[in-house]
Amino acid sequence: MAHELEVFWFSEQPYGHVTEDDLAPYESGRMHFPNTYFDPEKAHVLYSNYHDQYELADQVGFDGIMSNEHHSSYWCMKPSVNVDAAVITQRTKNAKIAMLGNVIAVNDPVKMAEEIAMLDCISGGRIISGFVRGTAVETLHAGYPPTENRPRFEEAHDLIVKCWTEPGPFRWEGEYWPHRMVNPWVVPIQKPHPPVWFPGTGSPESVIWAAKHRYPYMNLGSLLDLTKQLKGIYHETAAEEGYEAGPEHFGYLIRCLVADTDERAQEIGRTFLWTENHRNRGPMEFNDPPGYQSREALRIKMSRPLIGTGTMGRRMTYEDLQAAYNIIVGSPETVTEKLRHIRQDLEPGYILIYGNEGHMPHEDVMRSVELLGTRVIPALKEG
Amino acid sequence: MTTVQNGSRTTVNVNGTAVEMYSGGNGPPLVFFHGAGGSNGWQSWHEDLAAEYTVFVPSQPGFNGTEAPAWVKTISDVAHFNHMFIEALGLQDIVLMGSSMGGWVSAEMAAMDDHNVDALILVDAAGIKPREGEIAEIFMVSSETRLKQRFHDPSQVENYENYTRELTPEEQLVVHSNAIMASQLCWKPYLHNPSLPHTLSRVDTPTLIVWGNEDAIIPVECGHLFQQAIRGSQLRIIDNCGHSPAVEKRGEFVEAVTSFLDSPQISVF
Repeated sequence: MAHELEVFWFSEQPYGHVTEDDLAPYESGRMHFPNTYFDPEKAHVLYSNYHDQYELADQVGFDGIMSNEHHSSYWCMKPSVNVDAAVITQRTKNAKIAMLGNVIAVNDPVKMAEEIAMLDCISGGRIISGFVRGTAVETLHAGYPPTENRPRFEEAHDLIVKCWTEPGPFRWEGEYWPHRMVNPWVVPIQKPHPPVWFPGTGSPESVIWAAKHRYPYMNLGSLLDLTKQLKGIYHETAAEEGYEAGPEHFGYLIRCLVADTDERAQEIGRTFLWTENHRNRGPMEFNDPPGYQSREALRIKMSRPLIGTGTMGRRMTYEDLQAAYNIIVGSPETVTEKLRHIRQDLEPGYILIYGNEGHMPHEDVMRSVELLGTRVIPALKEG
Repeated sequence: MTTVQNGSRTTVNVNGTAVEMYSGGNGPPLVFFHGAGGSNGWQSWHEDLAAEYTVFVPSQPGFNGTEAPAWVKTISDVAHFNHMFIEALGLQDIVLMGSSMGGWVSAEMAAMDDHNVDALILVDAAGIKPREGEIAEIFMVSSETRLKQRFHDPSQVENYENYTRELTPEEQLVVHSNAIMASQLCWKPYLHNPSLPHTLSRVDTPTLIVWGNEDAIIPVECGHLFQQAIRGSQLRIIDNCGHSPAVEKRGEFVEAVTSFLDSPQISVF
């Protein structure tokens, strides 16, 4: 049976009160920008709004809600995707809950396996468990050497899957998390375990890893040409592994806002550029410290020259980004038409809607969720 | 003894690992271990020392032309490996010298076993955590910042343009690869081993500690801490000098080393 398109709602849960002027004196927007700019009272209001958006997305017909985590970042107030997923289980009834995901390289994998299993039980099997390496800052913030990210990720992945699939107690003689007794009481409701997703932006190594494990690969908003090439690598790897990849193996994250008119949407959507100037500012070594990319990743990169670099390092205007289908804003009709173009071009099984940013007014985002759910998604699914 | 051209490149087989090495000169053996940036090959100050010593400049595992065996993951592993390297060369009664991370490795080697070491020379060495200051961040900074940290006064550096010129893709790969190994070895604990001040108490080899007074990476305070940790060691501080005295104050550095090695304290020579 052909895989039917699924559409997910996603919000970074930004701390939208930060301005360009606040950021200007600091070398980078992440490690250097001090948390004295964080006001917990304001955060309380924002969290509440973001949770209302989740509830509405579930009610109006999104297939799922995607969440994530970041650390030391003003543009994402979620240091724990599992905590956010716990909220989603209680604010929604039907939506799948895609965690994209746990930064398993820098967390205790047995506890991760337990928490995700617990969420799967609480939600009645709605969990999709993404595993991520995180940006380099996640590893730096956790205090781990960047060279250990990849091997820790691999070991944590293997141990979590074993916790879910092999009866305990068992022994785990790992390099990073040696255990003589592993026996988590709580195991997932989905068998053999919740679906696993793996995200990426521009690294072919990530695509190959996902394809080898037959995990759906979620591209996080790279430009279409680059994304198609990465998808091609997935298909090649799948063929080498002896299976045929389809839409169910591939998802795409897109910044998208709908309003009643194109004019209004254009106005609100401009806030998608909120972090463009400073999100990745700072020495390159923050985003790519020595060892975060393995020698193998470098070798693959050199052996597979790709066109384009994603959006990082490129100065693209609001208009450029819209022309490149990297940001989609407009009336329900306009947005439906543009999402159809992406659907035809990339054939994704999953479209992840990055639906708000910065200080976008809550009411406008709620209206966007409503229009997406009642107008755009049904039209898109019709073909 | 055969005569070779100074600075010639060879490889040495150390239990199956081909170690890239530059060597030259005549006289007692002096082995130099490079810092976290990797080997710069045969340099003019090696040539100066080669007048009186046979100087060996290996690339340590994971740096430049030497692959790291899978088991080499820590500074302690590198120290063990370097002992094997010296054994593979069959060297006896050596001068053991290291700079920065290589100084740390050399100190670890001496703490493990110094019976074959006639003199130890540590240059702006990593390995001991300062009590007052901090060891500067070298990984999460740009290459421009790193270069500024390294030299106190670039006008004192011969061929400084070599440090600022655009690298070829092959050179970039070596630099990146070196940084990965350095990051693996030095990230945590950051550029030090809390046990080292204690294990160094076993060292009874005559030791010279050389430090650039304006070292912006490893503060001169660490030179004093090494002196306290190693019985009878001498500390020579070079003024108006950053993290790499052999490069920035070549004459003064070579003089400090040779006068120490010529002193009656070093009985064998």
